[in-house]
Amino acid sequence: MNALIELSDVRKCYDDDDGRAALNGVSLEVGTGEAVAIMGPSGSGKSTLLNMIAALDRPTSGTVIVAGRRVDNLSETAAARYRRQRVGMIFQFFNLLDDMTVLDNVLLPAQLTGMPKAVAFARARDLLGELGIYDRRQAYPARLSGGERQRVAFARALINEPELLLADEPTGALDSAAGQEIGELLMNLNRAGHTMVLVTHSPELASRYASRTIRIVDGQLTGADRPIASTGAWR
Amino acid sequence: MRARPVLRAAAGGVSRRRVQTVVIFTVLLVSTAAATLGLGLLAAAAGPFQQAFAAQHGAHVTMAFDTGRATRAQLIATGRARGVIQSAGPFPMADAGLTGAATGSLGSLALVGRTSSGGPLDDLTLQSGRWVRRPGEVVLSSGVAWDALLGSTFTASTAPGAPKLTVVGIAASATDSADGWVVPAEVHALRAAGAPATAQMMYRFASAGSDAQIRADVAAITAALPAGAVAGSASWLAAQQLAQGTGAIIAPFVVAFGIMGLAVSVLVVINVVSGAVAASYRRIGVLKSIGFSPGQVIAAYVARVGVPAAAGCALGVGLGNGLAVPVLRRSAEAFSGASRSVPVWVDVVTPLAMLAMAGLAALLPALRAGRLPAVAAIATGQAPRPGRGQAAHRVLSGLRLPRPVTIGLAAPFARPARTTVTLTAVALGAAAVIFAAGLETSVARVTTDRSHVNPGEVSLWLANGGNLRPDGAQARKAVAAIRSQPGTLHYVAESTLSITASGLPGQVNAHLFGGDTGWVGMDMISGRWYRAADEVDVNSAFLSRAGLALGDHVTLVSGGRQFTARIAGEVFDPAGGQPVLFAGSQALGGSGLPIFQYDVGLRPGTDPGTYATALNQALGSQFSAGTNEAGGKFQQIITALIGLLTLMMAVAAGLGVLNTVLLGTRERVHDLGVFKALGMTPRQTITMVVNWVTGPAAAGALLAVPLGIVLHWAIIRAMGRAADTGVPADVAHVYTPAELALFALSALVIAAAGALGPANWAARSRSAAALRTE
Ligand SMILES: Nc1ncnc2c1ncn2[C@@H]1O[C@H](COP(=O)(O)OP(=O)(O)OP(=O)(O)O)[C@@H](O)[C@H]1O
Ligand SMILES: [Mg+2]
Repeated sequence: MNALIELSDVRKCYDDDDGRAALNGVSLEVGTGEAVAIMGPSGSGKSTLLNMIAALDRPTSGTVIVAGRRVDNLSETAAARYRRQRVGMIFQFFNLLDDMTVLDNVLLPAQLTGMPKAVAFARARDLLGELGIYDRRQAYPARLSGGERQRVAFARALINEPELLLADEPTGALDSAAGQEIGELLMNLNRAGHTMVLVTHSPELASRYASRTIRIVDGQLTGADRPIASTGAWR
Repeated sequence: MRARPVLRAAAGGVSRRRVQTVVIFTVLLVSTAAATLGLGLLAAAAGPFQQAFAAQHGAHVTMAFDTGRATRAQLIATGRARGVIQSAGPFPMADAGLTGAATGSLGSLALVGRTSSGGPLDDLTLQSGRWVRRPGEVVLSSGVAWDALLGSTFTASTAPGAPKLTVVGIAASATDSADGWVVPAEVHALRAAGAPATAQMMYRFASAGSDAQIRADVAAITAALPAGAVAGSASWLAAQQLAQGTGAIIAPFVVAFGIMGLAVSVLVVINVVSGAVAASYRRIGVLKSIGFSPGQVIAAYVARVGVPAAAGCALGVGLGNGLAVPVLRRSAEAFSGASRSVPVWVDVVTPLAMLAMAGLAALLPALRAGRLPAVAAIATGQAPRPGRGQAAHRVLSGLRLPRPVTIGLAAPFARPARTTVTLTAVALGAAAVIFAAGLETSVARVTTDRSHVNPGEVSLWLANGGNLRPDGAQARKAVAAIRSQPGTLHYVAESTLSITASGLPGQVNAHLFGGDTGWVGMDMISGRWYRAADEVDVNSAFLSRAGLALGDHVTLVSGGRQFTARIAGEVFDPAGGQPVLFAGSQALGGSGLPIFQYDVGLRPGTDPGTYATALNQALGSQFSAGTNEAGGKFQQIITALIGLLTLMMAVAAGLGVLNTVLLGTRERVHDLGVFKALGMTPRQTITMVVNWVTGPAAAGALLAVPLGIVLHWAIIRAMGRAADTGVPADVAHVYTPAELALFALSALVIAAAGALGPANWAARSRSAAALRTE
């Protein structure tokens, strides 16, 4: 298995946290096509870990390598390029832009890369169709249900065909039925070849949809509680 | 004790918004300074005249009559004409040329016979000496005499027998009703042979507040008398204009700047406070949920503005006073008795008024915060209400522009109020710059325009200031020297005389040219330069005071002789104030007039300084040649003032824009985080944020063009009125389309530059932190 993500000895201290590290020597590998769940108590550093992988923030020390390239020391511009080419982000609170339609939200990452309009439209149409919200394309996020909003966030994360999906509590704001749907969606995406890192509080979600669960407490990994011997991917 | 949490809440807000605090401070500093300056100049200029006018019970209109055409009884009867509430006179009048052995000529003076300095009207202030008691004594007006003349004796050289007059006193009339006073019995003996007998009457009218009312009042008097009886009239408004001088000329544009500064500061304060309220709905909710009353919340947000605003107002008063000093000193020199400092009431009222405005501006959005229910406040959060910008997004995303640009352009629609502020700030700032640039051009043109002050580039005169006999040896020597200079292109002899003109009390300066003056090319407001021997040109003050128009005939009296001339043109006379006349020397009896100076026009490329030096060397110490340099002290002050006020306005407007963008970035910090998480590069982020302002700024810049032009047009005219002159076309119309386009464009660029700071901040900030801000 060749690792898509490689963290070695990553430490992250926030300036205002008087020396306490949010991440304290985290080393981690995620293989291509793997689906990894990250669990841990609140404040343990899960979101911080995702931010490191997405190059949304820089580690205090240690290296982060994604697809063979260091991403821990990228310039803001290079980080932005890296994110829009390789990373799809999904958040707990969707983070949709309220003053744009569903379609415009989904198209945005493609437009930022300068993808030809026709290509971007075709992809957005396909994605919205697959996710069952094509007929909601002209609606505004405020009018959508939580589950629908999260699907829009998925479509937006996928429009640039990233190989890596990072989800930070994607079902946290949803009821269990909607959470179920989102879980199915994640599994399908992983089956389709997307590597996935999923932060969740739900052991059920982790056990059903991830091939491996990593526990983190006070910024340190405490070992995978359910290591999968095989490559870990359902195929 | 209950005030403490309020203050702490407010202080927390201020320290966390340092830039906004600086913006409020600076904007109020600038506008308070402009307002103090403007009001100070107005008050200092208006004060002395009004005091003197009230104390002396000044006459609204002073009129001269030909007593050959109206009897004394008829004149007294005019006191019962329509509109008259009080009258004085008739007092006999005479024009006499006074020459002193030591002092030289005082020119032709209008002397009035009065038995006392007091009276129901024009109760003169005796500044020194005493009133006239017997023939042979004269009290001179402070307008023509100075204290050292007290006791000296003059000869009335124009009167038959050349009687002698001793100066026994110096008196001031607010309306300058005469140049001097004698006992009534002596007036007859002072008249030149053949000069008509005249008398003076003074009136107060029920309504005399405007030129139009004065004209109607004068018409009523004229109608009550036989035809041709009125020889002239003078309005108190003209005297007031003259007295207010420099301050009055500067006042229109200073006031314009003051009002624009006020508008910008009110906008900025509203903007900052409503922004602070909108950005901290959640904070308000929390404050309320822990027991803050609505009043305390309002107080907290008004206090946020109060401290920097008060500091800005206080320092602004100081700055305004500092700026007013050189201007006031100058006007005090021009008008003795004018105040040299800004009146105290201005220093008190201006900052209080500005502070009250700021407080009121803060109160409106703060009231909204006070009324907001706690739960709603917490739930509303800080995002702008969705829905507003949606249509704009839809339209703009269809454009073939990069996405960051269209997102940026759509943003203003989500916040119409704030967008209006940006637009207005840019419009006002750019209009101020356009207006000021135009004003600079106008002032520069006024300075370089040919006028009686400098008809040529170099002037040559006798070193002792005396006159040359036109056919004398000295004149021949001067002409020969001028002709032999290679730089000479044109030259003309100029005589300067004091004469009297029908319809005008007192004396008029006449500039008479002996030779071709086509090259002088003075700037005309209307009509044309004189051509025939019986044609003259006059300035605006001449026309307005005498109530004459182009084409009218005017009777001129010089050296006891009468001449009739037609007014061919209105000459632009930037010095204004006093009636001036220009003509060929034939208009006053031919070429025998004494020459005061020669005016020389130079060949292109000749340096005036070098030329004057060469002429001085050629002629020796008897003569003096000098250059007529453009731009006096007054122009320098105006130019500096315009530059300063423009800079202040541009800074205030720029800060307004910066502040708006800053509020936007703070408020959208979360959205910015989302954009960046989706792969927006710093450059794209900057592009987007800068485009928040390009739309409103472009609209503002477009609006600024007509606004600036209209403002310039109105202010130039107001300044002209204050200076008692019309405005020639080249001074009134100064803009070219290319310049205006450039101004509009640069306003856009400056607004974008103002947005760059916050945009950079937005681009640099880490999105991880931004996304945490829920
Ligand atoms: N931008 C930041 N500045 C300062 N401290 C931060 C920042 N982000 C995170 N932290 C701190 O780092 C630690 C880890 O935070 P993180 O958000 O990664 O936790 P988490 O595991 O995602 O928690 P939760 O499950 O509640 O989302 C916490 O103590 C938090 O206070
Ligand atoms: Mg988290």
